[in-house]
Amino acid sequence: MLYTLYMLEAKGLTKRYGDVIALESVDFQINEGITGLLGPNGAGKSTTIKLFLGLIEPTSGSAEVIGQKPYESVESRARLGYMPEHDCLPASVTAAEFLTHMAQVSGIPPTYARTRAADTLRHVGLDEERYRSIGEYSTGMKQRVKLAQALVHDPVLVLLDEPTAGLDPGGREDMLALIKRTGQEFGISILLSSHLMGDVESICDRIIVLEEGHVTEEGEVSQFTQETQTLYIEVDDHLEELVEALSKRGITATVDGLSVVVQKESEEQYDAIRDAIVEADARLRRLAPRRHGLTDIFRRAPNE
Amino acid sequence: MSEAQGEVFDLGYHHYEGPREGRMRARKAIWINGVRTALGIGRGWGSKAIPVLLFIATMTPAVVLSIIAATLGATEDFPSHDDYYQIISTLLIIFSAIIAPELLCPDRRDGVISLYLVRPLSTTDYVAGRWAAFLTVTLALVYLGQVVLFIGFVLAADEIWDYLRDNWLDVPRFLLAGLVVAIFTTTIPLAVSAFTTRRAYAAAFVIGLFIISIPVSAILSLCEDDQGQRRSEFAAGEQEPCRPATGEAAKWFALINLGAVPIHVSDLIFPEENNSEFAQLVAELPHIVPVGWYLLLTAGPGFVLWWQYKRISI
Repeated sequence: MLYTLYMLEAKGLTKRYGDVIALESVDFQINEGITGLLGPNGAGKSTTIKLFLGLIEPTSGSAEVIGQKPYESVESRARLGYMPEHDCLPASVTAAEFLTHMAQVSGIPPTYARTRAADTLRHVGLDEERYRSIGEYSTGMKQRVKLAQALVHDPVLVLLDEPTAGLDPGGREDMLALIKRTGQEFGISILLSSHLMGDVESICDRIIVLEEGHVTEEGEVSQFTQETQTLYIEVDDHLEELVEALSKRGITATVDGLSVVVQKESEEQYDAIRDAIVEADARLRRLAPRRHGLTDIFRRAPNE
Repeated sequence: MSEAQGEVFDLGYHHYEGPREGRMRARKAIWINGVRTALGIGRGWGSKAIPVLLFIATMTPAVVLSIIAATLGATEDFPSHDDYYQIISTLLIIFSAIIAPELLCPDRRDGVISLYLVRPLSTTDYVAGRWAAFLTVTLALVYLGQVVLFIGFVLAADEIWDYLRDNWLDVPRFLLAGLVVAIFTTTIPLAVSAFTTRRAYAAAFVIGLFIISIPVSAILSLCEDDQGQRRSEFAAGEQEPCRPATGEAAKWFALINLGAVPIHVSDLIFPEENNSEFAQLVAELPHIVPVGWYLLLTAGPGFVLWWQYKRISI
């Protein structure tokens, strides 16, 4: 009998802290690529990560990493990387020394560890700064060191917990680009836990949505960002006239800010909309179907 | 004139294909890093200053005694290898109290512990690695002093070979007694450090604990003579014997002096009699008592250290 080996697999995964249920009968599989673990605070994301890192044991069910349970065998963590959300860096040592040490703690011999530390720091863009004490680094540089320590032992899978926390917009873009490159070009699978939908939407291939300890949505990101049947007609002026012109043609429309919103019923509607715009003498800026965003996931009722 | 030429190489990301040594390498890394941290190796001069000063302070008695022995000769009253541990015990406690928290507190304060425990390393591996690292440093310290002292005694001897033949047993004795002293001074400060992220708090608590135990033990186990000096009834000598207020229980209360606990066990290893008042009181007890007390005060804090880390939530 053949079994499929997943990067991560949760089978009936349940975790209770006394009377509090953090996760209940959660089932999912994660394959290669970049997967987003999305959910509001308290949804069970951190508990899920801790279970896969082997820091806590499930109340029932199992959390497996490439077929092994990390809470039963610490050796299985040798090919896992983890970047926590909170501070985890010593201020008084250099990034080069810290990474060399962390590579050794992951099982890599000292001679190789030094080379790996240099290579990984170059990969995250800290080649020139590696002999400076970490305490002198900016928040963005510290986030890069945190990512580097998760990659220094060349893991097959990295778990990233809110990797863009505390970064300014520029730093956030850079970090997301780095994570995307790591996941797509270097073949390191990534589980990205975040409550920021923009982060997940921009770099993940798949998402798993957790709410109140349950998986409420799961699938390819593209599946959640498909076009909707709602048309947005963005015009500079004459909004009311446009609504009236559409109404004359049997199309119900509403005003939303600087746009007129129409429910698309057929392709022929586009001709009627064009004629209505001409009749209303409105200057058209944009006409496009609205796409679903990941934000919509949380607008829906659970288990909808 | 030739044109300047250059080539751009994209080094990219390389997957690691070298050896992976798993948990054993991880344990070794924690141990080596602990030794380096204790000695301030790989850090600024500020981090090195305290261990170096304490190291010098702890080694000074051995060097001074060796020089005196080598130049003036060692008389019968000259401090022995057993006495050396008693001489340095206070310095050793100060050294341990200040340096030991350096191995544990910053890892928890900075959050590095959360990176260690997601690698092929258990909580027990981490705690054992740090404990072994500090034991290595304290052992080096106590043995180095004893070696210096032994060399001083050898050089002071009229006949070196005769001295070695008659006193070779001192070597295994000071090795064993040194292990006893080092385990004790390693375990208690580390156990205290497991409860705080502030090094200063841990150091102050350990030093305070040891300092307070001396007068408490003295009040309960020694008696006051005519001059108001506290002494043991056994050390009365030519003076009138005096009776401590706690009577027969005085010898048990002598065990409260924490700094002397490993010395009582060391006294059982060396044949020479220890003339300190606490030691004379404890010598009245069955040998199993100081040994059992020592084991309780090392195994107990050792367990507390391990248990505290088992409870750590990341």
